[in-house]
Amino acid sequence: MNKIWLKNYPAGTPAEIDPDQFRSVPDFFEHVVRKFAAKPAFHNLGRTISYAELERLSRYFAGFLQALPGMAKGERVAIMAPNLLQYPVALFGILRASMTVVNVNPLYTPRELEHQLRDSGAKAIVIVENFASVLQQVLRNTPVQHVITTQVGDLLPTPKRWIVNLVIKKVKKIVPAWRIDGAIGFRAALARGAAASFKPVTVTHDDLAFLQYTGGTTGVAKGAMLTHRNILANVEQTGTWISGPFREATEIVIAPLPMYHIFCLTSTLAFVKWGSLIVLITNPRDLPAFVKELGKWKWSTMTGVNTLFNSLMNTPGFDRLDFSAVKVVVGGGAAVQKPVAERWQKVTGHCILEAYGLTEASPGVCANPPETPWNGAIGLPFSSTEVSIRDDAFNELPVWTDEGDLEKHTGELCARGPQVMKGYWNNPEETAKVLQDGWLKTGDIGHLDAEGYVTITDRKKDIILVSGFNVYPNEIESVVMTHQGVLECGAVGVPDQKSGEAVKVVIVRKDPNLTKEAVIEYCKPLLTGYKRPRYVEFRDALPKTPIGKILRRELRDGSATAPAPAPATPAPAPQA
Amino acid sequence: MRVATMPPRYRPRRLKLRDGREVMLRGIVEADAAAIVQAFERLSAESRYYRFMEHKKQLDPAALERGVHPRPGRDFVFVATTPAPGGSDIVGAAQFVRADDRHTKTCEFAITVAEDWRGRGLATKLLASLVRRARRNGYRKMEGLVLAENVPMLALARKLRFAVQPVPEDASVVRVERALL
Repeated sequence: MNKIWLKNYPAGTPAEIDPDQFRSVPDFFEHVVRKFAAKPAFHNLGRTISYAELERLSRYFAGFLQALPGMAKGERVAIMAPNLLQYPVALFGILRASMTVVNVNPLYTPRELEHQLRDSGAKAIVIVENFASVLQQVLRNTPVQHVITTQVGDLLPTPKRWIVNLVIKKVKKIVPAWRIDGAIGFRAALARGAAASFKPVTVTHDDLAFLQYTGGTTGVAKGAMLTHRNILANVEQTGTWISGPFREATEIVIAPLPMYHIFCLTSTLAFVKWGSLIVLITNPRDLPAFVKELGKWKWSTMTGVNTLFNSLMNTPGFDRLDFSAVKVVVGGGAAVQKPVAERWQKVTGHCILEAYGLTEASPGVCANPPETPWNGAIGLPFSSTEVSIRDDAFNELPVWTDEGDLEKHTGELCARGPQVMKGYWNNPEETAKVLQDGWLKTGDIGHLDAEGYVTITDRKKDIILVSGFNVYPNEIESVVMTHQGVLECGAVGVPDQKSGEAVKVVIVRKDPNLTKEAVIEYCKPLLTGYKRPRYVEFRDALPKTPIGKILRRELRDGSATAPAPAPATPAPAPQA
Repeated sequence: MRVATMPPRYRPRRLKLRDGREVMLRGIVEADAAAIVQAFERLSAESRYYRFMEHKKQLDPAALERGVHPRPGRDFVFVATTPAPGGSDIVGAAQFVRADDRHTKTCEFAITVAEDWRGRGLATKLLASLVRRARRNGYRKMEGLVLAENVPMLALARKLRFAVQPVPEDASVVRVERALL
């Protein structure tokens, strides 16, 4: 098909990008750190490290990994941490050692963590001490042989390091007791790596950079295999799109989304390419502290999701910040809602650049041109990206020209390009469901118009989008069903003002005394916050067809129930 | 007389599958209840989800009771069996029931094949038999709900000339339907 979207590309954006400029992410990284060696790279909790320091520390970590017994090229190494300086150090260290990064949501419950470690076959994990007790509970069921623990303040200078680590342990008391025999401290690991000396390994395009986990329809997460080429391509695609006004080694980027999430991951790399300073926000839920941090910087760029933009604007002091240096603010994950986008523009004087992506596409597929006011579309396909709207028989549907029946132009959004994953790790069946002739079937339903804009109107996959996190009803149901008092259940997404959608579970009770509170309480140790049901409804029977298939849409409405006690607001993150 | 309008009993027959294995295809009988429960227990969580669109710990006793007692002329259940120690195993089942008591000419179908019996043409034979049987029972239309991600089932439905229709307000499922004229 004609790339009808090219005519509306932002000035200077090429139709094609070269995904082969660099051999691998380490090759890219080494180029950048040489070029910007003396410039600041990452800032967190009051400390800034330069590109040269990042190079040195990640080299030590790579050397440490290489010296561990049994750790060869291609081994998977998990990282379970919020945004701290240790994150980029570990991440680049793993990649430089030619191993594959497995990012883990630090709020995962033992059940969720165990699945991901087993499925990925990770032999090593870098984990922040605060979550070590979770790992301890499942460690013996996983292939993990090497545990590297880090305290929040580990990369801060003394005496600040001692103070931060002490406050977190003894004052805030947010490190549950743990004991893992043979665990190595992060600082000791760096020291060992410095002594071991790193041996550069050739990493090629097709090697796996990330096993990036995303929810699965059968109730368990699947690992998207993202190669070095996938990531470099998307870094280039997203980078060229937004970097029109960028200048090398001057941009200050605010990164409140977790680095374990693909959106933050790829965008961070795109900013690294410009030699930018990236300010890692460890806890964006502490909004007053976040606003205070924003006030310290002449920041030019930020990535966020709808929930986060909304919360920021509701935080006193935000509207008085200095937005004069702002160049680009990217919104991804769930759709950015119109009132949020409009209010943001009013307060900051800048539009939110709404982008669309998914883990399987590393993640960027489409974006609106910079400084385009909210228009309800997810934008134009990135450079070197093709999109196609397909019907259920995989036939391409015609573009929408504002005439006729929109239904006839509405189908599944499919995308093709160098950023599309290789497949799901050890899962050819699931891969075959989403990859066909090089096309990635996104599961999102929408249309493409004559101007080249894509609009999403529905979803094919049964997904609930909570603050940009994908929740698969199947996983929720499989957990709720393990409760002895539950006979049958169905989970669905219902609209929610704060999080876009929230999880509702409809239950047929076996135990007539089962309460809503008991259901929520039961889910707590099994499902991380954003997945937990917010609404629980009891019914005598689930709506079914005569042959016994659940009518899911009839679960959505029903008696209005008061929301159950709200779980902690999830850390905002984009769709993946 | 009412009985005269009843369709004839289905005669059990042997089906040869693509890999050379054979199964017996016949109508369900009450004595199959235990074998149905065992077949259900052997199914993977995903297969159960595709069939019922929910997680099922066990078959609902009332539904099982209805399943082994199809209402003559209205409902029908085929089972595909293979010899097993102590009797036979059910490796596939296909059924239709009247979709709606006000629309007596439409039936809804469902079909399940054991995981290790897939890819050999059994589902195609089951669905084709179901279509013929429903037509003889006087139905004019056969329909079914399929999860949109259930690619093999959608391919099978298309192969047997079912049309795939969107379901209003729920893109995660589709309706497949076919006229039985």
